[in-house]
Amino acid sequence: MTSAKREDANRAAQGPDKGQVWIDRGERYGLIVAWLAVIAIFGAIRPEVFLSWANFSTIFGSQAVLVVVTLSLIIPLTAGDYDLSVASVLTTSSMLVAVLNVTHGWPIGAAILAALLVALLVGVANAAIILYFRIHSLIVTLGMGTFMHGVTLWFSDSQTISGIDLTLVTAVIATRLFGIPLAFYYALIVALVIWYVFGHTAVGQRLLFVGRGREVARLSGIKVDRVRFGALVASAGLGGLAGVLYAGTTGAADPSSGMTYLLPAFAAAFLGATSIVPGRFNAIGSVVAVYFLVTGITGLSILGVSTYVQDLFYGAALIVAVALSQLVRGREERLT
Amino acid sequence: MVLSILKRSALGAAICAAMIGNAAADDVVKKAEAELARYRAIPKFEAPGAPFDAKACMAGKKILSVPASSTIPFLSTINKATARLAKDIGFHFQVWENQGQVSQWVQGLNYGASNKFDLIEMLAGADPRAVEPQIKAARAAGSKVVAAHLTGFEQAVPGGADGVVPIDYKRAGELLGWWAIGRTGGKVNALVLIVSGALSTDSMMDGFKEIMAKNCPSCKHAVIDAPVSEWATKIQPAVQAALLADPTINAIVPIYDSMVQFVLPALTITGKAGRIPIGTFNGTPFVIGLVQSGQVEMDIGENLDWIAHGVLDSHMRRLCGLGEIKDPKIPLLIFDKSNAATAGKPPVDSKGYGDEYVAGFRKLWKLQ
Repeated sequence: MTSAKREDANRAAQGPDKGQVWIDRGERYGLIVAWLAVIAIFGAIRPEVFLSWANFSTIFGSQAVLVVVTLSLIIPLTAGDYDLSVASVLTTSSMLVAVLNVTHGWPIGAAILAALLVALLVGVANAAIILYFRIHSLIVTLGMGTFMHGVTLWFSDSQTISGIDLTLVTAVIATRLFGIPLAFYYALIVALVIWYVFGHTAVGQRLLFVGRGREVARLSGIKVDRVRFGALVASAGLGGLAGVLYAGTTGAADPSSGMTYLLPAFAAAFLGATSIVPGRFNAIGSVVAVYFLVTGITGLSILGVSTYVQDLFYGAALIVAVALSQLVRGREERLT
Repeated sequence: MVLSILKRSALGAAICAAMIGNAAADDVVKKAEAELARYRAIPKFEAPGAPFDAKACMAGKKILSVPASSTIPFLSTINKATARLAKDIGFHFQVWENQGQVSQWVQGLNYGASNKFDLIEMLAGADPRAVEPQIKAARAAGSKVVAAHLTGFEQAVPGGADGVVPIDYKRAGELLGWWAIGRTGGKVNALVLIVSGALSTDSMMDGFKEIMAKNCPSCKHAVIDAPVSEWATKIQPAVQAALLADPTINAIVPIYDSMVQFVLPALTITGKAGRIPIGTFNGTPFVIGLVQSGQVEMDIGENLDWIAHGVLDSHMRRLCGLGEIKDPKIPLLIFDKSNAATAGKPPVDSKGYGDEYVAGFRKLWKLQ
């Protein structure tokens, strides 16, 4: 046995050293610390506004749509697939709710069910094309997203439709629990379900194995196609749910604006993968990432800075977090 | 004794000053109401110029329209109305359908130039400044390039185009200013939502600021600037933050009415729904619907069909050598709770403005 090997064996026998433990914790909770730091900075500058409950309830209550879109993305991402159609599914879903409810007079419940069904069908179409033709998910979902945008423009006649049944608005943002609109709790429930499935079920483990290596997963007896199919359908279904929440938030729907959620959601998904369970897309990390970004942007808005500074914050936060995570990972590799 | 008299004098002076201040505020509020009242009545048709024989002068001529984006209902409605008029008059009119990409405008201009269109119209947001080389080439090929519904009366011709068909954006901005003054009793603390970079924004904001500076120097306003592509993600959090940062904000002015969709949830979440009035511009049907339901207080509208008539009138005069029209006489109409129902339920484009202009233009063009 060489001396290097003996050192490794000793280290393994002693367990992780203290430095390593702190590095792990730093990475795991770094984003939460950064979030608290952002709160502290803006709280110090404008304490009377930023540290008020009204501000926090606003921050929590207004970003449920982005949280759900982000959560929808991490399911196929964990399985190694991209879903670029999710923003289009969101838009189609919200527009369907508006068209069926306002233009065609459907009851709001039926309109929501129809919207969710269409979303799931889009997921089925995505998965079927990807798996049958063996085309990369990036290409198929990009095409499907563009196609669905066209469909939405067609059936909505490119019109914005307001006057969606107030029952939905009441159920999404007008009703509050502890001062926070219900939308926040819906998003939280979705996050908790995904956290449980990812971390405590065989389905979650299979999803992870498939994402880490399809061939290995297949050789281990996992039905890879079935797992990928389920992930893509779940993603589209959550995209549809996000659309329903979007319609309930604005009380209206238009055929384009929902498309802008795609990039912020990807940013939050990748940022979330640097924390809580570093290196893996995870539900709690994603939620923390969304609210970290939103807290920063709200603080900047309260200070009255121009909107381009918000973009700087968004982009810089993502790059810095991922770079730091990679740095820690590099140190970790050298230490072990 | 002397001290007592002095105190009373000071108190009297303060009361007098307050009364004078209140009287001045009352005056400006009355003035605001008078300014707004002029725009609540159904507009009268005014001919932009002398009558001419449209059929004779347009025979054999071709016009190509390049709208900012065919997916915007505002523009597709104008294009459809113009196509109807062109068929009636008897000349070739074509729309270069696009989805708002500059590369598509470039294609449109190249197509217009190579197919010898007499006039290429860049409609409502298709900005000539973004395609100057193509405009130069189109003009060299013999096409006239005109920017319609893009600039205010006071603005210069942009991007090397032959001319413009202007809209009174400045007046729309002034009316938004008057509305804010009237609605707040001359104590404006408004939140104004804009899209910087657009010529129409510059013109509207000039009008808004001038009214404030001249009539309400103590009034104030904060500005939120959100590019159109980011309205969905930026307007709501920015408005929420602004309302939290300054709870005394007493009016919201999104200068384009499609922004309202993202302002309303911000009001609901901050608990201010129904407590801060919204005044806006464009007259988009769904926003007039929000006026009907009381969520928006005022929407200054333009009749899209009237715009199609007015813009085409200007183009035809230019092509027939009848001079350039400085004011196409396209009116503004205020929709509020007193008249929002006239736009239909649900509201539809071009309804509520009367139809006198249709006969007016037909007579002007000698079609009857």
